[in-house]
Amino acid sequence: MAFVLRRVGHSLVVLLGVTVVVFALVHLVPGDPVRIAMGTRYDPDVYAALREASGLDRPLLEQYVAYLGSALTGDLGVSFRSGEPVTTILLSRLPATVSLAVAGLVVALVVAFPLGVYSALHHGKASDVIVRIVSQVGVSVPDFWMAMLLILLFSSTLGWLPPSGYVPLTEDPVEWARRVAMPAVTLGLVAGSIMTRYIRSSVLEVLGADHVRTAESKGLRERVVLGRHVVRNALVPVLTIVGVQLATMLGGVIVVEVVFAWPGLGRLVLDAVAARDYPVVQGAVLLVAAMFLLVNLVVDLLYARVDPRIKVSR
Amino acid sequence: MTTRTTRRAGLAVVATVATAALFAACSPGEGVDVDGSGEGGSGDAGGILVAAIAGEPDQLDPQSTSSYFSFQVLENVFDTLVAPDENLVMQPALAESWEISDDQLTWTFTLRDDVTWHDGTAFDADDVVYSYRRIMDEELASSWRFAAVEDVSATDERTVVITVTNPSPNLLASIGGYKGVAIVQQENVESGEITTQPVGTGPFELSAYSSGERIELVAHEEHWGGAPHLDGVTFQFIPEPTTALAALAAGEIDWTDSVPPQQVGSLMEDSSIDIAQVGSNDYWYLATNQANPPFDDVRVRQAIAYAIDRDAITEATMYGNATVNQTAIPVSSAWYTEYDTYSLDTARASDLLDEAGVDDLTIDLMVTADYPETVTAAQVIESQLAEVGIAVEIRSLDFGTWLDEQGQGNWDMLMLGWLGNIDPDDFYYGQHHTDGPNNYQGYSNPEVDDLLDAGRTETDEQARQEIYAEAATQIADDASYIYLYNPAVVQTWSPDVVGYVARGDRAIRFADVSLDR
Repeated sequence: MAFVLRRVGHSLVVLLGVTVVVFALVHLVPGDPVRIAMGTRYDPDVYAALREASGLDRPLLEQYVAYLGSALTGDLGVSFRSGEPVTTILLSRLPATVSLAVAGLVVALVVAFPLGVYSALHHGKASDVIVRIVSQVGVSVPDFWMAMLLILLFSSTLGWLPPSGYVPLTEDPVEWARRVAMPAVTLGLVAGSIMTRYIRSSVLEVLGADHVRTAESKGLRERVVLGRHVVRNALVPVLTIVGVQLATMLGGVIVVEVVFAWPGLGRLVLDAVAARDYPVVQGAVLLVAAMFLLVNLVVDLLYARVDPRIKVSR
Repeated sequence: MTTRTTRRAGLAVVATVATAALFAACSPGEGVDVDGSGEGGSGDAGGILVAAIAGEPDQLDPQSTSSYFSFQVLENVFDTLVAPDENLVMQPALAESWEISDDQLTWTFTLRDDVTWHDGTAFDADDVVYSYRRIMDEELASSWRFAAVEDVSATDERTVVITVTNPSPNLLASIGGYKGVAIVQQENVESGEITTQPVGTGPFELSAYSSGERIELVAHEEHWGGAPHLDGVTFQFIPEPTTALAALAAGEIDWTDSVPPQQVGSLMEDSSIDIAQVGSNDYWYLATNQANPPFDDVRVRQAIAYAIDRDAITEATMYGNATVNQTAIPVSSAWYTEYDTYSLDTARASDLLDEAGVDDLTIDLMVTADYPETVTAAQVIESQLAEVGIAVEIRSLDFGTWLDEQGQGNWDMLMLGWLGNIDPDDFYYGQHHTDGPNNYQGYSNPEVDDLLDAGRTETDEQARQEIYAEAATQIADDASYIYLYNPAVVQTWSPDVVGYVARGDRAIRFADVSLDR
């Protein structure tokens, strides 16, 4: 329990640091953000009102404390562009992002796990080499190119899948699955290729360990050795990379979202940056950082479950 | 005094007046149905038309937005007093008729009596007065269009009187040219809801908005022009053209303007879709900073005009989806002036530079990746000017910084476009009059000033035409702007879509469209 509390405490400290960075963002950008956001629609009265509303006319420390205070209560300000609350905008994008990230992770695991383990068990054989080459290609392929190829194949040529759009999972699960398939495969193949290589080397390392040799020499069946002694121990380093991949996908994947017109956080940030809508950019960065920390926290807690020694050593 | 607000490419894109929009092509054997399939009426098959646009509106207040994506949607939600038909001639809309006093200073508009807002309340003259006052008093983006307007008042429920300080032949274009001057509802504005839940008088009303995804409109059955044939229109935001075209082929969407210029040729051959390529009134140009020597010397500017190959620039940037032009107004317009002085002539350019005593010239050319055509063109221009011994240093900035630099005069040469021009006054006054608000290049020619002032108040069409022909020629001779081309509007749609007309003013209208499937 103390371990859990300590880890949660760490995460909160980091999150506090993130709020400082997010807050500083507006002040580090050269020029006056309100003036820039208004662009050619400049009007002195509107300008003064916006500046006051965003609190930019007050002392820096006071602004930060006020920002932190309202952020804690879920108030992240209002968008410069539409006047809508940033929290509302972020929440409207979250389901699309989370469902795509989870689907992408599932694809990645389905690809990476069998391939990684298989490749490690056939270490040095032709099949291992093939898996390694394929995963190297998977890591190297640009995601927009992969996305285009999928659209050309499954939408334009075969006509099986719709090339774009999003339907909430809660509204129509079948239609959701049809529409999430290509973006999830695009994400999953890239992430899966990276994970395959990690799983392979991790399993290889454990295969050479003393306890595995002992288990084998005890006459345990191969499946038991593999399941209980190899894979479980190989999981620890793999968990890290799985966590990082999931957190990255949760942060929004701009290219994939743009190509498939997926209404996630990535496109929101892209549009907001282009329009210099700082409250939205700030809110999104904060949300993404919080999700990243949450995923890492969960990964750390899982470590402790997989390998009880971790609890003691920290 | 009202300031004329900068309208740069993409910031406010809008309408054009001129006769004869040019239909360059449509798919073989498919003919564009210009007239719609019939008069308004709700007896049609209906259905929801799905249109893909390349981005998301920033907000839905037509008078405040400057985003073309907003105008694409709002074209169907709001009305203006008068509106351009497909030949870009002003026709009655919310106003059924108008009269001009003998001194040309008082315009009296009679409004239709069968107009209702989407929320069911009645529309009247006070709404018009409120809308125009808002634009003028709050100095919104289109307030410059009301520069000559002295007063707007309602004499009764159906009569609006606009008085102007001097005869204003372009008033109809000013109040009808685009949806930035649409009539809005006071209650909707004051509640602040107009930015996300606008209430208009147009043929469709907003029913749902999913951020990042789509805006859904449903038919406004009580529309004064008759109920639309469609049950509704959904605008989906699809940023990637390849995806939009795949979605069109898959039947997921019915219409898109997200067409990469390099694919227009092959799409023209595709008989499974309809495609239109229509001349627009937008223009792209080069300007040199006349405050910086040697660009104050007209011979240096002319040398550049002779040294560049407009055909090559147009091909590189637009893959031929544009018409080369040496003045601003396109050949499709009634205000077009024939002018072709500057055909590519490097010998002539070199002579002019020698006469001006210029050698070893290095030009700072400012471009912005927000308008990628400027970056592409800059590379072509760099190699072309090298032929006459001018070195070009390309400086690529983000558009915000670009605008700042332009305003502060920190540049030698720049390339950009002007969109949404209606009247010849729009094409020339702001950019080339000594006191023009957008005369960043510092051009000043008293003769041109006199012509542009006269053009503003000349009510005889023929005389006005001659004034602008003379002004255009002088401006081009002086190379105040070095004009490049007028781009085309390219849109494509499913053959199921009946009655859609691609327009040179980029207005996307679905009121008279129906679906046949």
